Amino acid sequence: MRCVTGCDVINTVWADRTGPHRTLMADLIQKKLQGELEKYQQLQKDLSKSMAARQKLEAQLTENNIVKEELGLLDVTNTIYKLIGPVLVKQDMDEAKATVSKRLDYIAGEIKRYELQMQESEKKAEQQREVLARLQQEYQRAQGKGAAKA
Amino acid sequence: MQAPGTASPLSAAQVGRLREEQGKVVTSCQEKIQHWRKVENDYEALQERLNTLPDKLSHDIMVPFGPLAFMPGKLVHTNEVTVLLGDNWFSKCSAKQAIGLVEHRKKHVRKALDDLQKVMKNFESRIEFTEDLQKMSDAAGDIVDIREEAENDGTETKGKRRTAHKPHSKPKVSDVFEVHFQENGMDTKSKGYSQSEEELWARLEELERREEMLGEFNRTPDTIEANGEDTTSSEEEKEDKTDLNVVHRVEDSTTQDNVQKEVTNSELFSGQVNGRSHYHSDDEDDLGVDHFVPTIFFSHTVEPKRVRINTGKNTTLKFSEKKEEAKRKRKNSNGNGHLVPELPNIKTPADIYRVFVDVVNGEYVPRKSILKSRSRENSVCSDTSESSAAEFDDRRGVLRSISYDEATYSDNSEGILEEEEEEGQEHLPKKLSTLSGTIEAFSGTVIEKEPLSPLIPHPSIAHPVLPTIPERKSEEVLSEASEETTKRISKFKAARMQQTN
Repeated sequence: MRCVTGCDVINTVWADRTGPHRTLMADLIQKKLQGELEKYQQLQKDLSKSMAARQKLEAQLTENNIVKEELGLLDVTNTIYKLIGPVLVKQDMDEAKATVSKRLDYIAGEIKRYELQMQESEKKAEQQREVLARLQQEYQRAQGKGAAKA
Repeated sequence: MQAPGTASPLSAAQVGRLREEQGKVVTSCQEKIQHWRKVENDYEALQERLNTLPDKLSHDIMVPFGPLAFMPGKLVHTNEVTVLLGDNWFSKCSAKQAIGLVEHRKKHVRKALDDLQKVMKNFESRIEFTEDLQKMSDAAGDIVDIREEAENDGTETKGKRRTAHKPHSKPKVSDVFEVHFQENGMDTKSKGYSQSEEELWARLEELERREEMLGEFNRTPDTIEANGEDTTSSEEEKEDKTDLNVVHRVEDSTTQDNVQKEVTNSELFSGQVNGRSHYHSDDEDDLGVDHFVPTIFFSHTVEPKRVRINTGKNTTLKFSEKKEEAKRKRKNSNGNGHLVPELPNIKTPADIYRVFVDVVNGEYVPRKSILKSRSRENSVCSDTSESSAAEFDDRRGVLRSISYDEATYSDNSEGILEEEEEEGQEHLPKKLSTLSGTIEAFSGTVIEKEPLSPLIPHPSIAHPVLPTIPERKSEEVLSEASEETTKRISKFKAARMQQTN
């Protein structure tokens, strides 16, 4: 099936599909495929990083919750210290409670942020997956045609 | 046969791997549980210590001095304890307060332990499940699949149609999945094992629901669906999915709620479908219940349930869907009090012959009339042809349809047949006696007319003076045609004509 119009090379590449032309097509697609694959892997890594960070935050959240509860169990007579480096710094009970609450809120906010981030990464990964699938199909088709011809 | 969207068939290797993963989860759960138990024990010991500490003002102890040495020393201020609250927060508390804090922490530990226990149990049951699956697949060769299509035909209670369980809501739901064990090279049922245990329970519930539905049948099996090879499909159905293999296909026919249900119950993890043998009974009923593979198709007839139908005379009739319908129709059409509920309005004997028509070879054949031939000229009977006594037995085996409106054939027509025949036979014997009486009376008459049909060899040919009572055999088209061409003449007239000739 030669291109009768006898025009540029690309047409013959598409029409002829024999020998070196076939591998050229397949190679192109393959390269594209690899590029997309790398992008996908990067996205996956980002996703897992967000996941790990989020888990850490969750642990901190539970811990601070416990601190808050235990502070509630204590009364004013107990002196409260905060460890800053190697130093135990005396703190006020109310101050401590406020600090812990603020920290809790901050952690919750961070978790939400990471959640959003994860969702976006997930979406991007999904899109990337589709692209990959498409490319793979094309690649197989190209290969198949080449094989048929050959 | 897999329904669309089936999970990929599981191989034994996959099942094995699944089992492994589940085992891993369980072991990790166990480790965590152990860890938390240790923590709890530590806290208990701590509480003990805190209890004894304030007993003395100072304790003599051996103080650790670096990693390798101890030094005698004293423990003072025994009531003052600095407690780490978490996240770099400390607080100075009394021993009692410290004990309270420890107790509070133990609560958290116990909660974590409980959660882990639950997860472990969950996974243990899943493991059991997977192991069963494996066993089934291994032992599949020993198990034979017996298939019997279960057809629930109008086993009703009191004839009321329950709309709650209309099968319209579930068209063509097949929720069986098959486990294909491909290394055996056999066509087994595939099982989408991605299902969780929740789906399993949901599936169980659905099955229970369906069983209830089966018990409340109100459908007429119109057509019987032959049970195909693989009636099972994957679990990918519209409803809940479980890991059970149950085929439940519901087909709706648009006519009058006639629904045929084909229920096949198959076991879990069916094996291969080798060498299925297919048995059919003589009846057209196909009842099938799926079990393992290889399959034996079994079907048996369904006895029509004897249900008391209150026809106003406390008559117990054999229940059949046809009768139900007829009864319904009668009620709907302002039926009068009749002896037999399924009969339409019959006020005259002529009505009977109008109603009770036999169908021979697809044509309507009226029964023998007890009416005199003369009156039959103006009668309402569809045809004056009658069969001989010998055909009684033939008729018995013929499918009859009661209602003239519907040409539906029921597999329970036997029930109807019996009922009809009880009726018909009241008349037929009369016809017989009439016929025999006439035969005796005119045994010596001359043949006046051509035999209506040369194809009908029967004594009635010897009595052409009774042209209105021709033979009726399977080749009736001719006879009918010839009958219709022949004029009806009463035997007396014929005799008179004969004498005049």
